[in-house]
Amino acid sequence: MQKTMVEIENSSPTSVSLASGEPNLLTVDINQIKSDQPAETIQPIKKKRNLPGMPDPDSEVIALSPKTLLATNRFVCEICNKGFQRDQNLQLHRRGHNLPWKLRQRTSKEVKKRVYVCPEPTCIHHDPSRALGDLTGIKKHFCRKHGEKKYKCERCSKKYAVQSDWKAHMKTCGTREYPCDCGTLFSRRDSFITHRAFCDALAQESARSQPPAPAALTSPGGDLKVQVVAPAAAAVAASPPQPPLTPSTGVLSPVLSVQSSAELPENQNAHLPPPPSPPPGPAALTTTVASTITVTTAAVAAATVTTSSSSTCSGNIPTTGGVFARIFNSPSSELPQSPQHPASYSGLLCAIPSPLFPTASQNPQPHYLSRPQPALSATALLQKAAQMGATSSNSSFLRGLGLALPSSSDPQLDNTSTMASISSSSATHWSNNVKLENNSLASELGLGLPSGGSSGLNELMMGPSMIFGHKPATLDFLGLGMGVGESSSRGFSAFLSSIGGGVDLTNASFAGVSSTGGTWDDSSDQKPSVL
Amino acid sequence: MFRARAWPGFPTSKSLCGSSSFGDANCMEQLLVHCANAIETNDATLAQQILWVLNNIAPPDGDSNQRLTCGFLRALIARAAKSGNCKLLTAMANVHANDLTMVNHKFSIIELANFVDLTPWHRFGFTAANQAVLEAVEGYSVVHIVDLSLTHCMQIPTLIDSISTRLEGPPLVKLTIAGAMEDFPPMLDLSYEELGSKLVNFARSRNIAMEFRVIPSSSSNAFSSLIEQLRLQQLTRAENGEALVINCHMMLHYIPEESLPTIPTSFENSTTSLRSMFLKALRSLNPTIVVLVDEDADFTSNNLVNRLRSAYNYLWIPYDTVDTLLPRGSKQRQWYEADICWKIENVISQEGHQRVERLETRSKWVQRMRNASFRGVGFSEDAITEVKNMLDEHAGGWGVKKEEEDIVLTWKGHNVVFATAWTPL
Repeated sequence: MQKTMVEIENSSPTSVSLASGEPNLLTVDINQIKSDQPAETIQPIKKKRNLPGMPDPDSEVIALSPKTLLATNRFVCEICNKGFQRDQNLQLHRRGHNLPWKLRQRTSKEVKKRVYVCPEPTCIHHDPSRALGDLTGIKKHFCRKHGEKKYKCERCSKKYAVQSDWKAHMKTCGTREYPCDCGTLFSRRDSFITHRAFCDALAQESARSQPPAPAALTSPGGDLKVQVVAPAAAAVAASPPQPPLTPSTGVLSPVLSVQSSAELPENQNAHLPPPPSPPPGPAALTTTVASTITVTTAAVAAATVTTSSSSTCSGNIPTTGGVFARIFNSPSSELPQSPQHPASYSGLLCAIPSPLFPTASQNPQPHYLSRPQPALSATALLQKAAQMGATSSNSSFLRGLGLALPSSSDPQLDNTSTMASISSSSATHWSNNVKLENNSLASELGLGLPSGGSSGLNELMMGPSMIFGHKPATLDFLGLGMGVGESSSRGFSAFLSSIGGGVDLTNASFAGVSSTGGTWDDSSDQKPSVL
Repeated sequence: MFRARAWPGFPTSKSLCGSSSFGDANCMEQLLVHCANAIETNDATLAQQILWVLNNIAPPDGDSNQRLTCGFLRALIARAAKSGNCKLLTAMANVHANDLTMVNHKFSIIELANFVDLTPWHRFGFTAANQAVLEAVEGYSVVHIVDLSLTHCMQIPTLIDSISTRLEGPPLVKLTIAGAMEDFPPMLDLSYEELGSKLVNFARSRNIAMEFRVIPSSSSNAFSSLIEQLRLQQLTRAENGEALVINCHMMLHYIPEESLPTIPTSFENSTTSLRSMFLKALRSLNPTIVVLVDEDADFTSNNLVNRLRSAYNYLWIPYDTVDTLLPRGSKQRQWYEADICWKIENVISQEGHQRVERLETRSKWVQRMRNASFRGVGFSEDAITEVKNMLDEHAGGWGVKKEEEDIVLTWKGHNVVFATAWTPL
């Protein structure tokens, strides 16, 4: 079947007609399309609703654009700008303004039946043979299936695109309710059932009520189970649980195997008194039947019990005799071996132009991302952060990070030179200075700095901080220089508290200062001293 | 939990968001990836710097993506704290651990029932499985259900209910569960004895006789004691005309697979994993039907970064599904998010046997089942209709689709949970 309606250029020799008031209308005669199919439908004598998908072959197929279908209130009053969905409504409204109005008369000749197709190409209703019979219908269809769901039910969060659907839902939502005896209401049957199974209300109810006379007396082979349930249930509710037969708890405790299959035969009989209220005749019969059958059950069950208990004893600890070899050695959580990097600290942020990790964008991005971003190296990302931050007022930290790009053309160079200049000065002096410095941050953290340091350590300390040019500043554990005073400690402790509000900072012994600069593992040759 | 404001002057996620990218998930994912890589390569300073940046752009009370990222951030901190000698990070990680007390919340049975039904996450599998089971056990007078479920039998009431409606009269139902010896969330504040007693009671109220049994067993050794028990029962099973139903709901992914080295016995192939052995063992029980429901993602890579990506691109979904559903401060929301954080932490900061969240995709499980000589039976139109009706009762955004003969729950078009049904080949 050809699709001929979409573009004007492709239209059939007949009609490209623009009906007045509907600018985007393209009309195509369905007969053009259905030329390869015999016309089989009989013209109905009385007006009846055509089945969807079987439009009248003589009808006119109309393809409206999405904009048209979604448009509401396209007819606007020029006086008050009020919008109306239909031209007729607008005309009636215009009467109120004493404006000339005009209602189109129905033409005397028979109006050709119109059917509408959905503009969405992938939709089944895009096909003229599946066109829908009325304008409102196609509008609603398009909106529902291909439109944005703008209406939301408050109760259940279900969303609708068509307002009338939403209203219809609101009428029924929450009205179908399942009440539990405990008072809770449920709107969904499955949650109601699940709740009910576990709700205490059920337990109370069954304890109170007469156990029903089992109807399954006649079910073949099933007697023993059903009968036993009734008296046992009373027993379950009334008596305290029997001590479990098996040494391992939780397995076949008699209360649970309700058939009392775990109970010994003598106990079983003891639990077969007549039910509290006088039982009807057949029930008495069943009781007797039950007692005889129970013995068998118990005998069988006892056999089962012993089997299970014996095997469960061994099976309790999931090891030997089992199907699978015991493989569960005591777990040791070890990280996969990774190469140990020397402490030489080339980890200066700005010194690494290349990506640390070959970021690949091969995996498809989830659709919720607006657009795929080029894979950025860590450096680039942090630089980006800096750029954004540089626009705001206090970027001393960022300078400290060495990320304030405008000010340094070649951060690497600057850092190196800074490093060089400082490491040439007494590293010890610097360290001492820091140690003695009565800095709130340091004391809070109990930061310790090693008295002696490798060159790598110095690099760490001095590293990305430009501020070291002026004076040795306090180092936080990030190995970054801080701007003067407070903002640094505030920021850092803000970091800490936000990670885990209430770290006892005074007790946090920062034994790993050296490791901040270097590796994660224990460089045991450096003993930190704690302030 | 107190959360301080970001360092003044530092771009917050809001100011960064704008047109560009810091606030968006892609960027956060990249930062996480860089951080993970830094940790793995012992680049401590870089790792710390990125952690700091992440901390500022991903507050735990932010939007869905931020909370997701925050969960990963914490997991990375925990991992870093383990691997190194940085006591400060250890201290931070410890504080975090206390924060995860939400995760140790023990649900009452009623709380758990509500919790499990917040979204169709579990109910999808329940509905599909129940219908498949009902159809498979038609005609049997005894139905033995082995429920290996993360949700502590939450599927059973509706299963009992549907069994009770069958025309030919109710069967005897035997219910066996593996009394899990591990502590995966969600945790139940009720003994299995009491749980079973309630279920039996409920079954009785539906005129169904039911037996309940708990067999202590662990996923860490592929439920070997459970399998043994079932083997022993094979003898009586044939006589009774008993249907054996193995219902696996988000539990099998805890059984170690090939990336976790197994000590081979003299009989077993050294490359066989517990997971494969378990499925073969199931097959040897000749079950009437096996239903396998699990989460459709791959968390088994031994490479941290790959695993992180995989987890990040899946676990955004549970955050998103409750974003407008549960009020921010509500307990349920906290429990729910703590649950996800537990998983994140397990995948990211744990290794070896302690890393238990070893999800595999639907296609991988399908392959495994086929290797174990099962054939897929698919779901009937009735089952799919039931599922659709169920989804209609939830918020918009949920969907179901068919993949080969299986069905998959989707959220905004993304695969969430798959359901498959099998019978011996």
